[in-house]
Amino acid sequence: MTEKIVDALGEACPVPLIKAQNAIKELAVGDILILQIDHSCAMKNVPEWARKEGHNVEIEEVDDGEWEIIIEKV
Amino acid sequence: MPREKKVENYDVVVIGGGPAGLTAAIYAGRARLKTILIEKSLIGGLATYTNEVANYPGFPTAVKGEDITNLMKAQAENMGVKFKLTAVKSVQLQGDLKTVETFRTIYQTKTVIIASGGRPRTTGAKNEEKFLYDKGISFCATCDAAANTGKHVVVIGSGDTAIEEGMFLTKFARKVTVSVLHDCGKMDCNEIAKETALGNPKMEFIWNTVVDSFEGKDHLERVVLKDLKTNQLIPVDCDTCFEFIGYLPNTELFKDQLQLTNSGYIQTNEKMETGVDGVFACGDIRDKWLKQISTAVGDGAIAGFAAEKYIEESKAFKEIILQDKKPGLVYLYNAVDPASRSFLNTIGKIENQRNGAIAVARVDVYKSKGIAERLNIDTFPTVVVVKEGKVAQVISQDLSEDKIIAAL
Repeated sequence: MTEKIVDALGEACPVPLIKAQNAIKELAVGDILILQIDHSCAMKNVPEWARKEGHNVEIEEVDDGEWEIIIEKV
Repeated sequence: MPREKKVENYDVVVIGGGPAGLTAAIYAGRARLKTILIEKSLIGGLATYTNEVANYPGFPTAVKGEDITNLMKAQAENMGVKFKLTAVKSVQLQGDLKTVETFRTIYQTKTVIIASGGRPRTTGAKNEEKFLYDKGISFCATCDAAANTGKHVVVIGSGDTAIEEGMFLTKFARKVTVSVLHDCGKMDCNEIAKETALGNPKMEFIWNTVVDSFEGKDHLERVVLKDLKTNQLIPVDCDTCFEFIGYLPNTELFKDQLQLTNSGYIQTNEKMETGVDGVFACGDIRDKWLKQISTAVGDGAIAGFAAEKYIEESKAFKEIILQDKKPGLVYLYNAVDPASRSFLNTIGKIENQRNGAIAVARVDVYKSKGIAERLNIDTFPTVVVVKEGKVAQVISQDLSEDKIIAAL
């Protein structure tokens, strides 16, 4: 199981979502993608997209207005 | 091999982090209940999709929805509420101990407050699925306005959200075309929004239309509208289409355990009770008339308070009534009535005489009738004598020390 961290800090929509979509293609089932974001718009479309694809999603609020979206590829 | 799930215990689990859930959590936290709020994405719920909230009292400058909900979140954190950002996978609502399960954790809880709100409704037009979220169909002007600077966008709908967000989009987009279901000049929004929108040179209206299909290669290129009177198809080239045509309730998780309306909303009474003990619902998820931040906040306050009362009453009920170690005496009274208040002295005297041999509960029904309802009592004051975990005698008429002692 590998864990990949993608930095999307400072990026506005739709950049974080596109970064996540590209990164997950490179991962195997069971691998984990950690997407770092600080634009709340990405908190709406990234988890929504990942769950629609069937992945497991959990989010950590690292700081006020800064999050890590943890996606386990299914 | 799946990981073993962690088990955590709470007094209150709130599902959903919009204004209703946040308010319920503030009230539960303030009552010193161990409270966790579970939200699947961004704290703030649908309120964060609104760019200018002009009708929430206390914020005269029409701030962003997210600014208001961030303050609510800070307030809940101050009250000791915990937050978990993940989706709920399943719930079990029956019994004294309920469970709420997420991807990695099982939360065991005395009460559940459901505030999972709604999600935007879609048109159901051809190819819609292909372009959702990142491919050209959006439900959030606040999120995607900047990316449409200098572009042409289409807005579907004519309610407050559609028109107000449409006007916000004119600050970025070159042109905003609005598809309205109704005849020329008729919209579902408020009059102020309507007049301003009709006078906005960047806004164009196509009346009597619905979406027939969405077209494009990888990204949306065109929305094809259909004139409902002539059946004529009207292709509109655009970069993004914003749909603001109402919401659907997020009740799939609860449909086998709670009473839902035909359209999927949860039915509650005025105390936000769902009909399952210890389970409350508040905000947009409820079957109710006006869905606003301000009404969600009101609902949340009631749900949080009701959960507190439920826990308190369950505890009293268990300790005094459902125990079989010693006889129990429950005095149900209305504190507003002076005679009932002075009879408290008699109750105290009996308790002292028995010197710990009986369990005594004083229940003020002015604050909450929950315990009285559980005992099926509606006249006050009343004394209930309990023996071996069962109601042995109910004394409602001519209360006296002798009568109570005889019953014990």
